[in-house]
Amino acid sequence: MSMKKSIFPFTAVLGQENIKNALLWNLVNPAIGGVLIAGEKGTAKSTLVRGMAVLAKNKKIVELPLNITEDRLVGAIDFHQAMTGGENVLDPGILKEAHGNILYVDEVNLLSDYIVDVLLETSGTKQNIVEREGISCAHESDFILIGSMNQEEGQLRSQFLDRFGLYVEAEGEKEISLRVEIMERRLAFESDPLAFIEKYQKDADALSVKIEKACHFLPQVEITRENLLFAAYLSSQANCIGHRGELAVIETARAIAALDNRKNIEPEDIVEASGYALPHRMKQFTLDLDSQSDAPDNQTDDSGAPSSNQEQEEAQEEKDAGQKPEKASGKQPEHSGQDKKNQRQETDQSGQTEAKEKQTPKKDPAKKQNFQNFDGQFSTGLAPLNGCDLNQPSSSGDWEEANDFPTDDSQREASAFGRDELVAPGEFFHISQWQEAIYKKALAKSSGRRRNAISGNQQGRYVRYRLAGEEKVSDLAFDATLRAASPFQRFRDKRNRAIAIEKSDMRLKIREKRSGGCILFVVDASSSMNANERMREVKAAILSLLNVSYQKRDRVGMIAFRKGKAELLLGFTGSVELAQKKLEELPTGGTTPLSAGLDLAYEVTMALLTREPDARPTIVLVSDGKATSRKHINDTPFDEALEAAERIGKQKINTIVLDIAESTVKSHPCVKLNEKLGGALLTMEKLRAEGIVEAVSRYQK
Amino acid sequence: MEQKKGYCFTAIIGQEDMKTALILNVINPRLGGVLIQGEKGTAKSTAVRALAELLPLRNQAKSCRFNCDPEDEAHLCTECLAKRQSGETPAVVQAPMQVVDLPVSATEDRVVGTLDIEHAIKTGEKKFESGILARANRNILYVDEVNLLDDHVVDVLLDSAAMGVNTVEREGVSFTHPADFILVGTMNPEEGDLRPQLIDRFGLSVTVTGERGVESRVKVLQERLKYEEHSEEFFQEYEPLQQELRERIIQAKECLKDVTYSQEILELIAKICIKLDVDGHRADIVMLKTAITLAAYNQRSQVKREDVLTAAQLALPHRMRRKPFEEASFDLSMIKDIV
Repeated sequence: MSMKKSIFPFTAVLGQENIKNALLWNLVNPAIGGVLIAGEKGTAKSTLVRGMAVLAKNKKIVELPLNITEDRLVGAIDFHQAMTGGENVLDPGILKEAHGNILYVDEVNLLSDYIVDVLLETSGTKQNIVEREGISCAHESDFILIGSMNQEEGQLRSQFLDRFGLYVEAEGEKEISLRVEIMERRLAFESDPLAFIEKYQKDADALSVKIEKACHFLPQVEITRENLLFAAYLSSQANCIGHRGELAVIETARAIAALDNRKNIEPEDIVEASGYALPHRMKQFTLDLDSQSDAPDNQTDDSGAPSSNQEQEEAQEEKDAGQKPEKASGKQPEHSGQDKKNQRQETDQSGQTEAKEKQTPKKDPAKKQNFQNFDGQFSTGLAPLNGCDLNQPSSSGDWEEANDFPTDDSQREASAFGRDELVAPGEFFHISQWQEAIYKKALAKSSGRRRNAISGNQQGRYVRYRLAGEEKVSDLAFDATLRAASPFQRFRDKRNRAIAIEKSDMRLKIREKRSGGCILFVVDASSSMNANERMREVKAAILSLLNVSYQKRDRVGMIAFRKGKAELLLGFTGSVELAQKKLEELPTGGTTPLSAGLDLAYEVTMALLTREPDARPTIVLVSDGKATSRKHINDTPFDEALEAAERIGKQKINTIVLDIAESTVKSHPCVKLNEKLGGALLTMEKLRAEGIVEAVSRYQK
Repeated sequence: MEQKKGYCFTAIIGQEDMKTALILNVINPRLGGVLIQGEKGTAKSTAVRALAELLPLRNQAKSCRFNCDPEDEAHLCTECLAKRQSGETPAVVQAPMQVVDLPVSATEDRVVGTLDIEHAIKTGEKKFESGILARANRNILYVDEVNLLDDHVVDVLLDSAAMGVNTVEREGVSFTHPADFILVGTMNPEEGDLRPQLIDRFGLSVTVTGERGVESRVKVLQERLKYEEHSEEFFQEYEPLQQELRERIIQAKECLKDVTYSQEILELIAKICIKLDVDGHRADIVMLKTAITLAAYNQRSQVKREDVLTAAQLALPHRMRRKPFEEASFDLSMIKDIV
């Protein structure tokens, strides 16, 4: 391959020792199970991975590009063979090529959900089973999985995360002399790549030899019972999901020892290894710290139960269908078998987690403290994962500072009834996991995952195909059609054409579109919102939600209601910034025309659904539920609001009621509203930092 | 219908930052492109399209669909490499660099390339039909309204922009070819954000605003009217300026590799990047390259501090760690202090 020649040499990369270590260990001991490299832009993530190919003598790097379609991943019928030779043979895909090699996915967090499912299955069984297009075969597919990603673009599913043996984070160098050296090397490389590579060839050769030696030495490294115990101890202290963690720790420690030419594994090796192998498996870490669920939790659990049961039933139903993708995919896209399979796996996963949680013995707080001090590296690795990724305020000092909005005392005093006020938002909330959880639940209702929806129109990424059936053919999956037709060419009258295609061969594209949701905030801006600095907190809460939307590329809209009317401040827009501006400028004061707000929300959302039937809108009502203003004389303001809520509840619209009145009694207006809306109810209490953890665990169950 | 010749680059009034950024990219294709942000009607697209008239000639293999440079062994496509290895000397032609459009409506398969359907039907064989990225190799890839691009297309752009290689594994075909392009995007920020990862792929960024002064607005109008109504005259008037700029670009290209920089300059760049806490190292590298190119453009053989200052203005604003919901804060005075 010509392209290899122009790759920046591994040994010429300065710093990034974590990434280098993780990659080398994997080369020495493939049993570690790969590595996920997360980090900011421009930190030589992919350069290092691509560079490592040169070091591995007997392995190559097989790249899995984001544009991949299913047939190229798992393999498909070789249609040329089928047409000419009349034999049905497999035209192998990437999974075959990756066997015994390194499978590299750059921007792994952007991978299509379906492809992720296939990868999960294959990396679990180490086998690729092809049962499709008249082909029935299986081949081994055991590879080192390496992924790199920038967390700003979104996170990985926890299940997928767990498949990576190690996890490292990349960061830019902070020292001037290093940065200078990096610049110089880069420029030298660009002006004459071949000469530059030549210059570092010696280092590369030496490293390759070292790796090869370590590979040979690896079987001689002994694992003692103490080693195992220690690894298991660390893993359980870290409250890791499943047992992959300690296995990866042990295998990594072996590689470290082998590179060091030692037959025994030292405790330091295990400590070092756990800094790489455990952080991404520690998701549940914080959950245990908090007390168990309280009354309101149970309440929502009840309402959530039926839908999740139903989901499982459906999943069960589809299980058989899922094994015959041809058949299952003949259905409407939103009911396709594979889609359900995703859900099924998710339910499996949460079940696993729960079971694991039960297994984990109660922790001695002192021990935990101990563990946290155990290794500095550990806690840094943990920071971005345990809470809520990037936007976790506590993980960066200046962040909090930045959001410390000035609050004017005079403003606070002016909260007299009826006067307009402009309140600055309070501090940000920890919210992303909560938000994620909400969506998981909300979507069980409306079918389809949030992140990668199956797109009905001809937009989105083509990843796989389905039978055309009786449908009118549009968006033909030509490659699949051709493959379907190929085995029959010997029997068909081709009338001088190279190939004869019949209706039964027709395959259509299934496209996945990573559409963010459409979130419409319906904000109560009446004077009652001014009490107790409520608005400050509400603005902060909404900003935090917007913050999540920003990452997920949701579209957001905003309606405010006050002084007898509702107003659309912002139609659905991709510019979250604009939404933020509108929110900050939002004055409060006046009566509470709740029904008007809900009605407008209904209209706006329905208009959206007419335009884009695929859109999955969520209405977030932020209010204390105390309606004081009405449209018609006949109704009470609240009854009118309930009616409006019922109208929304009947539609396929997800709803969240954010109750800011801090009350959870059954008769509370927000509870009643939520009953009509049929969505999720949350209180500010839960949104606060300490409440988030519970909210998360509740929705994960 | 005969297509009317585009507007003259040199006839664009004001927008000096944008013009400089574009020209620098032509001089040094390794700068990594430019993102032009601004309101409607600020000559963003006009400038990019006008750039085509200024692009210098370069060598390319005659029949190569990826416009390979036969001399550049490290970046040859598989076809040219095979020829080279078999000892064949490829026919070389001189052709100007091109501006290749990536329409917002483009689908993923058209961008990365796909199975050649016609060939498959006729012969029953698989063949790779190249897409926009193939044409974009060694050219300028221009995306108007880049913020409206379909997410999937952005993904594949990221994929290939990173390494200058397009790997295709779809619809039965498996193919890899060089896709080393200068990414130029224009956008109106009011219509939505650009994903952080994609923003970082742009070497430089400029923000354009409409001319505020009455005088210059009138001048803008006059030139535009002249172009529309008396295009002959218009082109005649600007041809000398165009030619002058073309020559300046060629000269700058030639002396680019002779530009030197001191250790002090390198440290200055590193200091600025640390001070501003930018992500990763791409900013440093782009800044250095920009400063070098600026020196070449100004016919100097030594990078000066002021080059670094200008380079910072072009290379840093879009790389500032921007917390969501904060205006990107780019404090020029801070950089001035350091310089």
